[in-house]
Amino acid sequence: MKQRCIKIARSSFFCASVLIISALVLCVGLVKTVRAEEIVCIPCHSGLPEKFSAPVKLWQKSIHAENGIACNACHGGDPKDAANAMSPARGFLGVPKPADIPAFCGRCHVGVLKNFLASAHGRALGKGGPTCVTCHGNHRVLKVTLDLINEKTCSQCHTFERARKIRDAMAQTEARIVAIDNRISEFKKTGTDTEIVEKQLFSLRNGLHSLSHVLEETKLTAASTQIDADLTKIESSLNDLTSIHKIRKIAGVIVVSAMLMTALLLHLMRKTY
Amino acid sequence: MEASRRTFLGTCLVAMAAVISAASAYPIWRYLAPRKINPADVKVGIPVKEVLEGEAKFFDYAGSPAVIVHKRGGGLEVFSAVCTHLGCIIQWEKEKQDFLCPCHGGRFSADGTVTGGPPPKPLNKLPFTVADGTITIG
Repeated sequence: MKQRCIKIARSSFFCASVLIISALVLCVGLVKTVRAEEIVCIPCHSGLPEKFSAPVKLWQKSIHAENGIACNACHGGDPKDAANAMSPARGFLGVPKPADIPAFCGRCHVGVLKNFLASAHGRALGKGGPTCVTCHGNHRVLKVTLDLINEKTCSQCHTFERARKIRDAMAQTEARIVAIDNRISEFKKTGTDTEIVEKQLFSLRNGLHSLSHVLEETKLTAASTQIDADLTKIESSLNDLTSIHKIRKIAGVIVVSAMLMTALLLHLMRKTY
Repeated sequence: MEASRRTFLGTCLVAMAAVISAASAYPIWRYLAPRKINPADVKVGIPVKEVLEGEAKFFDYAGSPAVIVHKRGGGLEVFSAVCTHLGCIIQWEKEKQDFLCPCHGGRFSADGTVTGGPPPKPLNKLPFTVADGTITIG
């Protein structure tokens, strides 16, 4: 009997080990697949002197890297062919001149570019005014928070007073956006389908951030009112999800209790025979 | 005595089985049952004359932005105005006769197909009919 138990335990251990090893091999395989698709810019530039390798390290920490937006998305070129990666014939653009930076970034960030060009910052373009990288940095572009509007950055060119007003006009709405974003992240961890609310929130967040580039406090205040109303709708959807999760938890407890009770009843019934 | 005890336990077991069955069947029923608010049941009417040729009109459809486009040379199309990339609201570019997503530069033609940028799929078409000078969406 004892030997049989040992045999069963050994078999179980073997099966579990095979499953774990298979899972690990699968994971490594997936990682390898991603690495195999790496563009040629990264390995080449990583081995170059600091001036040329620093952008790689900075980019790796960026929101662009997080979302798979690699070097060629901005700088052009051929990321699959090391010999011709930086050939203008393959669409390589290189580093833009300061005055060309907004148009460079604006190829993707269309709405932001439009608002920026209409602003005091945009009107000062090429005359000592700021460009995208003045506030956002170049390669280490992070997910934007209100901390980006700070005295240290803004005071490079002017006093912080007006920038503070703009930041204050956005503060309340931004705080709600961040809170909702955190709630959505929590739901995602539980495997809940959050795609619709995520997209709705992204759209509102992007709308607010894009509008902030106009640098007009009144416009931001007016937009915040509309955005707040839409945020309330998202919060309502999330509250519904919370209610569903609560009901599921209660139902789970009931089912487990019922199963335990059934097991007990079966045990008692067996004793009656 | 044993028989009545057995009957009592049997009754309890049947009750437990009923509870477990109901708890198991409910999620399946919820999954298969129609949604309470079905967007297909929502109908929105817009007069044809409000959408001039070469122009687009945005409206709210089942709580989400939608757009009618009256293509140059004739023909109407109705879409969800939500970009299929990350959910921003698209804009109509009259000069180019296409849609632009202001967030990441996604472009869609007047018939909703992706012509540029990151959107992974075309705009979602909404069903509509035209009768008595009114476009009925839904």
